[in-house]
Amino acid sequence: MLALICVVTVVVVLLAVLVAGLLRSHADILHALHDLGAGVGDPTGGSVHDHATHDHAAQPVPVPLHMGPPLPGERNASSAPDLVGVSPEGDAVAIGVTGVDRLTLLAFLSSGCATCAEFWASLQDPVSSGFPPDLRVVAVTKGPEFEIPSEVARRAGGRIAVVMSTESWGDYEVPGSPFFVLIDGRAGRRIGEGVANRADQIADLVRRAWDEERPPGQSGSTSRAAAVGLDGKEREARNDQELQSVGILPGDPSLYPERHEDLFATTSSPSPTNGSGPASPRDQTGTKGR
Amino acid sequence: MTTLSAHGISANLPSGFEGRIFQRSAVGGEVARPVAHFATFPLPADVADFGAGAVNLMAPQDIFSVLFEYGPESLGTALFARNGMPRQLTGQDFSTITLRRGIPSQSGTQWFFTESGRPFTLYVVLGNHAQRASLVPRVNALLGNVDVAQVGSAVP
Repeated sequence: MLALICVVTVVVVLLAVLVAGLLRSHADILHALHDLGAGVGDPTGGSVHDHATHDHAAQPVPVPLHMGPPLPGERNASSAPDLVGVSPEGDAVAIGVTGVDRLTLLAFLSSGCATCAEFWASLQDPVSSGFPPDLRVVAVTKGPEFEIPSEVARRAGGRIAVVMSTESWGDYEVPGSPFFVLIDGRAGRRIGEGVANRADQIADLVRRAWDEERPPGQSGSTSRAAAVGLDGKEREARNDQELQSVGILPGDPSLYPERHEDLFATTSSPSPTNGSGPASPRDQTGTKGR
Repeated sequence: MTTLSAHGISANLPSGFEGRIFQRSAVGGEVARPVAHFATFPLPADVADFGAGAVNLMAPQDIFSVLFEYGPESLGTALFARNGMPRQLTGQDFSTITLRRGIPSQSGTQWFFTESGRPFTLYVVLGNHAQRASLVPRVNALLGNVDVAQVGSAVP
C-alpha cells in the first residue's frame, strides 16, 4: 500500500512538472507574438502598463505574409507579358500578345501529361475544334531544361505555334498543365484563365469572351455569326427564323426600304405608303425574304 | 520591351512585334547563316528566309522584316560597302517593285550593309504601300532597337 502511494505521488509530481513546462512554453510563444504585434485586437492598443512591464517596449513590427512563391515585380491580376523562349527546333522566339488587335489563347501544356494529349490534338485545327476564327493559339511549354524538344515538336505536329519558356510559366504563375490564359491584345490584359479537361470547354469560354470583346462590326472581317460557328445556310436559316418570330415573312415590305424613314419605323407593321405602294422589283424576283 | 537574342543578333521588340532568330540546318556543303524575322502578325512555323509563306498573310497594316547574314567572303565587296544598318527609313525608300514576291498593294525595301564586321541584308515589307506614312515609323522603331554583335562576341 505504501509503495502504491509513493508511485502515485511520483507520477503526480512528474505530471505537474510537465504541465508547468507546457504553460511556460505557451507563455513564451504568446510573449513572442505580442512582441511581433500579433494577437487578438489591436496590438498597438496595449495599455501603458503592458509596455511598461517590458524593458524593450515592444513596438508593432510589420510582418510580411507570403503565400506561394514571390511574385514577379510587374505581375498583377491581369498583366499579360509577352512570350520569350525557344521553339522546339531551337530558334529564339518572341511572341507579342499585347499591342495587337486580336485575342490570343495561351495553352500551357507539357509533352508528358495525359490530360494535355487531347489539347495537343484539338489545337492542331482550332476552328474545327470550335474555337473562333482569327483567334491565335500559342502552346507554351517549359523550357528545354524541363522538356524534350523533339517530343514537344512531335506533339505540336508543326501546326501549333510553340514557345518553350520556363520564364513564361513563372510570369503567368501557371500552377500546372494544362492551364489556359486568354488575352485581349487590344486592351493589353488577360481576360480569362483557368484549367479544363476538354477542348470544348475552353472553346465555349473563348467564344463567349470573343462575343463580349468583339461585337459585330468591330473587328476585322469576322462576323459574329461566323464567330459562333454559323455560316452559309445555317446562318441564313437562323436569320429567317428570327425574322419570322417577330412576324416578318418573305416579301414583307420592311425588308425592302425605299426611304430613310422606313429603316427606323417604330412599328413592324408596314406603313400605309409601303403597304399600298408598288412592290419592290425584288419582290417579284422570288428572292427569299430575309 | 521584349528582348529577343540569338546568334549575335538582339532586338528589343516594340509593342505589337514578334520575332524569330534562327539558323537553318546546313544542307550539303553550304554553310547556314543566322536569319532574323520580325513581324506584326503571327509568323507561321515555317517561313522561308525572305518571307515566303508569311508575306501572303499580311494585312494592310502589317510589317514584315528580315535580317539575313551572308558569309565572310562577302566582306569588302562593293555590294556590302555600306557601313551600318539603316535605322531611319523613309516612305520614299519603299517601292512596290522591290518585292521578292509581288503582291498587290505591298511594297518593300532592301539594303545591303556591313555591321560589326558581319555582312547583312535588310529586307522590309509593308502590308500596304498607301499606309507607308504610318508604317515606316514603326519600322524605324524596330530598326532602332536591333543590335548586331561582332563575330568574336556572337552568341553561338
